[in-house]
This record gives sequence, C-alpha cells and structure tokens, in this order.
Amino acid sequence: MEAVTGWWDDYFWGSVIVLQVFVCSLILMVLFGLIGAAAKLSNNRFAQKLAAGYTVAFRGTPEILVILLLYFGSAITLTAIAQVFDPEVKFVDLSPFWSGTLAIGLIVGSYATETFRGAFLGVKPGSIEAARALGMSNFQTFVYVRIPEMWRLALPSFGNHMLSLIKDTALISIIGLNETLFVAKQAIGTTGKPFTMYIVVGCVYLGFSTVITLTVMWLEKYGNKHMESAR
Amino acid sequence: MTNIAPAASPETLIQMKSVNKYFGNFQALKNINLEVKKGEKIVVCGPSGSGKSTMIRCINRLEEHTDGHIIIDGNELTDKVKDINAIRREVGMVFQSFNLFPHMTILKNLMLAQRLVRKTSKAEARETAMHFLERVKIPEQADKYPVQLSGGQQQRVAIARALCMKPEIILFDEPTSALDPEMINEVLEVMTDLAKEGMTMVCVTHEMGFARSVADRVIFMDAGEIVEEAEPEDFFLNPQNERTQKFLSQILTH
Repeated sequence: MEAVTGWWDDYFWGSVIVLQVFVCSLILMVLFGLIGAAAKLSNNRFAQKLAAGYTVAFRGTPEILVILLLYFGSAITLTAIAQVFDPEVKFVDLSPFWSGTLAIGLIVGSYATETFRGAFLGVKPGSIEAARALGMSNFQTFVYVRIPEMWRLALPSFGNHMLSLIKDTALISIIGLNETLFVAKQAIGTTGKPFTMYIVVGCVYLGFSTVITLTVMWLEKYGNKHMESAR
Repeated sequence: MTNIAPAASPETLIQMKSVNKYFGNFQALKNINLEVKKGEKIVVCGPSGSGKSTMIRCINRLEEHTDGHIIIDGNELTDKVKDINAIRREVGMVFQSFNLFPHMTILKNLMLAQRLVRKTSKAEARETAMHFLERVKIPEQADKYPVQLSGGQQQRVAIARALCMKPEIILFDEPTSALDPEMINEVLEVMTDLAKEGMTMVCVTHEMGFARSVADRVIFMDAGEIVEEAEPEDFFLNPQNERTQKFLSQILTH
C-alpha cells in the first residue's frame, strides 16, 4: 500500500472531478429525460419522432462510442467553425470535462426519458381530474399533483440511472479527463502496481455508489410514508 | 357560438340547452335540457352507460360538450381556460373513487386548492379545512394520509375538500358506488345534512332512499337522453315512461 502514498492528493482531486461530472451530468440527465418524456407524451408528431430517434440512437449505441464521437466530433466541428473566422486557428475543442459530461447526460437521459414517460403515465387520472375540478390551472396541477406523484413512481429506476452516471464517469478518462481512473493509469506507469492502483479506484466508485444507493433508499422511505397503513 | 343564450332568471345556477356530446361517432348525450335553481337538489339515475356521469362532467367541463349551451351562474362554458377555471371554482365535485391526492395528508388535501385557487392565507385555509373536517365528523384524521382511512372516511374528506372552496353547486358522481355497504350511510348522512343547509346539489346515484328523502326532482336518463323528470313522489309511485317503469322495477324489487 505504501506505493499509493504519493498519489493520495491526485486521487482526491480525481474524486472531486468524478463528483463534479456526476452533479453536472445529473442535471443534464434530468433535463434531457424530462424534455424527452414531454416530447413523447405530446401530441406533436414531429416532437414524438424526434424523441423516439433520440432514445433509439443513445440507447442503441455503446456509451464509449458516444463519448468519443461527441468529443472528436465537436472538436472537428468547432475547429471548422473557428477557422471560418480566423484561418490561423489550428484546433478548438470542447473540454473533455464538458463533452464527456454532455455525452453521459445524453446517454442516461435517453433511459430517463422512458422512465419519466412511464411515471407520468402512472399518475392516477383521478388525482388530475380532482385538481381540475377544484379549479387548479394546468401548471398548478403539474407542479402540485403530477410531479409529486410522478417522482415517487420514477424513483427506483432513477436510482439505477444515477448509478449508471457515476460509473460512466470512468469512461471519460479515455478522452483525457483526469478523474480517478486516469490518475490510476498514471500511477501505474510510475509505480508498476496496477492491482493496488485500480483497487483504490474501485473503492472510490464504491464509496460514491453506496452514498447514492443510501440516498435513494432514504428518498423511497420518505416518498412512501403516505403508503404506510395506519397502526 | 354567435349569440349567448338569453339570461335566465338570477335564481338559475345551471342551465343546459340542447346539449349534445359525441365520443367519436357515439352520441353520449342527446339534446339535454336541464335547469337547476339555487338550492335545488337533483338526483340523476338511470342504467349504466346512460350518460348520467357524462352529463354532470360536462357541467364543470371535465368533458367537453359538442354543441348546445351550458350556462353556470350566468357564465357560459366556452373554450376559454380562464372562464373554465373560474366556473370550476364555483362548482365542487365529488367522485366515485374519492380521488384524494395520495401523497398529501388529509389537511393538506383540503388546503391545497384554497391556497392556490382562492389565494387564502395558510392560517385561514387551515381553519376552513378543520371547520369542514368537523362538519364531516373526522377532525381527528387531519394528519393521516388518504390510504390510512376507510372508503367512507375518504369520501367524507372528498366532500369536505369540495366544501372548502365554498362552491355554489356540488356535483356528486356516484359517491357511494365504490363503498362497502356499511360505509354508505355515513356518506349519505353528510350529503343529507348538506342538502338541509340549502346547498345546490346534482347527484348521480342509485341510492333511491336518498333520492326520495332529499331530492326536489329526480331525473331518469337512458341512452343519453333525459327520459323523465319528476318530483320524487311522482317519480317512484307513478312513473310515466315505460323505460322508467322498467328501470324502477329492476332496482326496487330486491
């Protein structure tokens, strides 16, 4: 274990990056998921098709491919655009952090689209009718009735999506994001101790995923307290 | 919709004129004409699929009528969302399956629409909620969740929730049909109390005892039409229409 000693701070900052990617991609994932679900549930044919295409494309391709395509694709596109304005420019890219975060937000968002869609459909029509009959506006009904019932239905799958997000962060090391797996590779290069170094990475991810799992369990307990029968 | 129908007398709260309603090719309501005056209690009965629920759901626009006019307290129901919400504020509704918000306590169920729609203060909404919970005789359940209550209690809460909005009219859509027999009376008692206090009520129900003792008029519907409309005494003892006679013989012989 003493081989790790000089690397603790690198691992720490790597973990911070994992956390940052997680938080940003989580926000994007919820955003894409809600937009996707709204599009699928809308009456607009074009929006439905677009959302269907989105889920087919991102659920049907390897995650690592999406990350690579988004990173290099955005680099080529941005460079081309930049060269229009300034021919001197050699290379412009979206940082590995943002292209990676965007990629996994899009990927897991495509799964979340289906989760949210199902959950919205699971909201009891009676609750919505009751809200309407009380004179609540569509927006009020959405915020106070649909969303509170929907998130409880979505939560178990949503917990899985969060685990996917945190684990997918490791994939972003392939485009040079200096998260923990990236740190490990560097450490192995110097110390020649792959097992030790990868175990540390494993522990970091296990730590994060445990916190997520416990949070989801607590949320489920909180969210379902109205289902506990009277004692 | 060029001409708004002529104003009815100020006493008239609900006015339906030549209302038709189609679901696709199926005509659910055929030329419905109905007037309900302030303080009147109307019981609507008829075989299942006869359009009773559809009719009262048109009154607060949970269903959209295809043509004809529906005028609630002088305001015609049109497509304007603002008008619809304004009318819904004045028209309470109690559903067959209670439809309480499952994730909220009883008290919050009662307070939500008051706060959002009536814009009352929190304290006032709570006071009103407790007042009506006492009226339906279950103030001790205020902090429980709907699932923890019996069906009869849930339906009483649903009635209290409608009352909290201080509506002009309450519509009941088969309020006792989903209840176990021993719970029907507690709900009917609350409804009878309401009737005595002068609330304007339109009830779709098969509780003929309730109809007899409470209703000012009983309306019998079949196949989307109002077939017969009479005071309860006449309706039960001397039904005019053959279909009414058949229906009554079917439900009253047991």
